[in-house]
Amino acid sequence: MKEVEYNLTLEEDILAAMRRPRPIYWVALFISATFFVTGMASWFYQMLKGMGVAGINNPVGWGVYITDFVFWVGIAHSGTLISAVLFLFRAKFRNVFNRSAEAMTVFAVMTAGLFPLIHLGRSWFFYWLFPYPNQRQLWVNFQSPLIWDVFAVSTYFTISVIFWYVGMVPDLAIVRRIAQGVRKKFYSIFSLGWTGSIKQWLHYNRLYMFLAAFATPLVISVHSVVSWDFAMSIVPGWHTTIFAPYFVAGAIFSGTAMVLTLVIPMRKIFRLEKYITKDHFDKITKVLLFTSLIVTYSYITEFALAFYGGHKFEEAHFLYRALGDYKELYWMMIFCNSLLPLSLFIRKLRRSIGYLFVISIFVNIGMWLERFVIIVSSLSKDFDPYNWGLYHPSWVEVSITLGSFGMFFMFFLIFTKVLPVLAITEIKEEAAE
Amino acid sequence: MSNKFVFEEKEKFLHKLEEVVKSGVSAKDIEIFTPYPVHEAEEVLKLKTSPLRFFTLLGALSGLIFGFLFTIGTSIDWPLIRGGKPIVAIPAFIIVAFELTVLFGGVISFIGFLILSKLPDVKRIIDPEEYGNQFIILIAKEGRK
Repeated sequence: MKEVEYNLTLEEDILAAMRRPRPIYWVALFISATFFVTGMASWFYQMLKGMGVAGINNPVGWGVYITDFVFWVGIAHSGTLISAVLFLFRAKFRNVFNRSAEAMTVFAVMTAGLFPLIHLGRSWFFYWLFPYPNQRQLWVNFQSPLIWDVFAVSTYFTISVIFWYVGMVPDLAIVRRIAQGVRKKFYSIFSLGWTGSIKQWLHYNRLYMFLAAFATPLVISVHSVVSWDFAMSIVPGWHTTIFAPYFVAGAIFSGTAMVLTLVIPMRKIFRLEKYITKDHFDKITKVLLFTSLIVTYSYITEFALAFYGGHKFEEAHFLYRALGDYKELYWMMIFCNSLLPLSLFIRKLRRSIGYLFVISIFVNIGMWLERFVIIVSSLSKDFDPYNWGLYHPSWVEVSITLGSFGMFFMFFLIFTKVLPVLAITEIKEEAAE
Repeated sequence: MSNKFVFEEKEKFLHKLEEVVKSGVSAKDIEIFTPYPVHEAEEVLKLKTSPLRFFTLLGALSGLIFGFLFTIGTSIDWPLIRGGKPIVAIPAFIIVAFELTVLFGGVISFIGFLILSKLPDVKRIIDPEEYGNQFIILIAKEGRK
């Protein structure tokens, strides 16, 4: 096929996703919006009644909210991995995933950013987290990991949005050419008057490269900082040096699973089979398998450190984690994150789309459980037996958690109708080579 | 009036571009538009590397310096001992300084990109110029700069 024809069909196929939605889309949007609204209402209820409506107690002061925060920040990471790290490694298979993965990053960070606010209790004072000149002449404590978090997550959000937007400008110009009426105006503004002149491409490519180079260490720093929220304390089960790489690997693992969860239905619904092929899935699944192995290795190392370290409390904690009150969750986590992904060593399974979808759901569940197990089991049994206690999420916490999933999927659904779902320009460039 | 050549294929476009350059037209007078980045064309026109890197460097350095000055300055401004650590705890501040390096570097690179590529271009936003999937060579009339 001639290049121009190929490019035209490419544009048509991908932009077809943006046409008037089918009923199934409205149903999906309605369901996720309902969850979102219910979650927001629950948050409002919590603000009216106070933190007592959440299940968190003494000693378990961090519960599902912090679990959700770590989970969503983790989900975000794979978007940056796919768009920035694989870009620097010139891994071409990223081209079909990067747009949706970056969208996922932005939405996941937005969702994650809500949870510290929900957890604050007096959410309306959230701006105290930022250092700004104030009447009380106070500054934030820059030695606190929680303040590092503020800087890390807000930087991450800003850079992810810029990276996502910059990558999209040439594609928005394509949509501008095809769209009509008000939509044309909208895309004209957001494509900034892009023409595709050589000067623009020259600066554009440099910018993209620099942003990728910034995003790569950034993504590692963000989840390291999140892990230090735990590791900087002296609570048994948290106070270990492997936390940063362990969390980063876990983040990429869960994020890759979420990419599969989102892209597999998207490919089916928008008939993108021609562009997102089984080879692409085969490759991204190898990333999933590899990070699963790192995570499994970290699980083993954690135990090895506890028993080799000769620290009584650490030892007791890890026995408790595997055999105590939350043991079912722990073993479910091992099954979802360590055992099930081993099946991906079989090539046939890596190329079976249905199987990948199922496994991606299991990994999502497993990674959520991982954070829950780490947070709750450590807090429920610390040094002083008088201070031990258990934690169960209340309905408010469950509702807000489901609401966060609703919010994430709602944003993603809107994204598929408003913006081009695949990086058209990059696929053109790849096809031309 | 300027000369305009329109191509549907990258190879023919590059071939013509080389011819035009060989015939003595200076690279300044040639304007080309492509549907995706064509690195060969940059070589043919002997374009210099984008000066965007200076914006990036400036942004990153200012973020780094600001990050340290700000954390150290505010700690000295309210010298409260926290957890028995020194008031100016550099290792802890490295993290904040690093994040600000990336933040300023990224944002200023983006602004630099907008300035260098003359975007947003209001004229083109109101009346977009579309070249579709074609490769265009525009040559300004000789003698006109």
